[in-house]
Amino acid sequence: MLVDLIQQLFNGLVIGSIYTLVALGLTIIFGILGIAHFAHGSVAMFGGYLTFFFIQQFGIGLFPAMAVAMAVGALLGVVLERVAYHPVRNAPPINAFIIALGLTLIIEKANLLVFGVDQVIIPTGFDRVFNIGGVTLPELRVYILGIAAFLVVAMTILINRTWMGMAVRAVAQNRPAAILMGINVNTVSMFVFGLSSALGVAAGVLVGALFAVAPGVSGGLVVKGFAVLILGGLGSIPGAIIGGLVLGVSEAFASAFVSSAYKDVIAFLLMIGVLLIKPEGLMRRRSNR
Amino acid sequence: MLTVTNLRIAYGGAEVVHGVSLEVGEGECVALIGPNGAGKSSLLKAVCGLIKPTAGNIVFEGADITGMAGHEVARRGIAMCPEGRQMFPEMTVMENLRLGAYRRRKEDISAEIEEVMTLFPRLRERASQMAGTLSGGEQEMVAISRALMAKPQLCIFDEPSLGIAPKVVDEIEDTLVKIKALGVTVLLVEQAVSMALRVADRAYVLEAGEVVAAGTSAEMSSDPRVQRAYLGA
Repeated sequence: MLVDLIQQLFNGLVIGSIYTLVALGLTIIFGILGIAHFAHGSVAMFGGYLTFFFIQQFGIGLFPAMAVAMAVGALLGVVLERVAYHPVRNAPPINAFIIALGLTLIIEKANLLVFGVDQVIIPTGFDRVFNIGGVTLPELRVYILGIAAFLVVAMTILINRTWMGMAVRAVAQNRPAAILMGINVNTVSMFVFGLSSALGVAAGVLVGALFAVAPGVSGGLVVKGFAVLILGGLGSIPGAIIGGLVLGVSEAFASAFVSSAYKDVIAFLLMIGVLLIKPEGLMRRRSNR
Repeated sequence: MLTVTNLRIAYGGAEVVHGVSLEVGEGECVALIGPNGAGKSSLLKAVCGLIKPTAGNIVFEGADITGMAGHEVARRGIAMCPEGRQMFPEMTVMENLRLGAYRRRKEDISAEIEEVMTLFPRLRERASQMAGTLSGGEQEMVAISRALMAKPQLCIFDEPSLGIAPKVVDEIEDTLVKIKALGVTVLLVEQAVSMALRVADRAYVLEAGEVVAAGTSAEMSSDPRVQRAYLGA
């Protein structure tokens, strides 16, 4: 029984770390711009396809392919901010909302057009399986957890320790005051979109290696991402990290000990539960602003 | 140093500032006084680039900064200690101070941190506390220090005494005097007129979007209109 628990905890953390990567991007975009960036999942899938393409066409390894895809993703994020969201920054929020929906369709269809309708699994060559005390640890899953952890830590350091990260937090907490400090809100917006899109692409690649890159996966990713946001608290970075892991582990436990058919229901049950009991999210202090 | 000429500001179609001109010279402390709704805050927002004036111009150190983006104005050396303190509530006092020096982020700022902590010893105790959890008076100290961290050519204070305990207001007055003594050019906007006139060298009285009186602080203090309207004489 204990072995089962640890096994499911491991499985849950692996999936949860991917949710965290998706949610981190969504949460910093929401924190800065107040936008629900629905197209985030499609950007993630685009990154997955791109990585697959690089590996197939150029025969490069997973890590370089992923790094290049993340860079392309960051660029795509900056372009999306400039072209799609920047023009409506002072308009009522419904405009950005509609644009987000439109972008989702555009990127989704562009993925179909460019990469085709077939699902692809990103080849990694990490096929070994470790067994520690009865707990099965597939090499790939261990790496996924490691990569996700690395990216989350790197991003946290970036946000907490650098001037750019401090500017990002300043704009999220008090935009007019940030401007008075000499912070260029435009630069911060572009940086945030670049950073979160790169993280989204990383999530897409990990999903593609673990399951598959396919049309329709992006919708599920975004829904989970927003569920994590509600769980952890809108705009909160620690909330996205904890929320993602909580969601992943809950899902794993539910599918192992209840029924895998109810796996996806868990996300929404958790969300409803948190909204009822602690509506500001797990990691958000009750704000008095 | 700062010259505002015939500035007009309107929100929607309604003009709230009707052609105001004023000047702040190097090393001077100038007060802008007047009742609520006189247009003081609008004028400051226009100077700081947070809103665009409809007419007139603003020249700072010889350069026209009318309608320039707020962050560029800040980078040119105008720091603002805004009304209502405007903390970054979920950052520590230290982080708030560091953000004040954002335009100097490539320089060493430890000397300035030391300087403001000497000015307000209480900030040293509060350095690692979240700014949102401080009292109003302490937040005002952070806001003033944050503005000083930019080592600005011109430092603007918008209603620093608003909503602050009377005892702390005295402390803020002392601080403004100290800041003046450091040679910082100050534009002080205040409704606490007697305090403003004690601190400032010169003053402008703004009423309903127009300058109705101007002169040295001594002249303003003895002006019967000012006395009647603001000093309760």
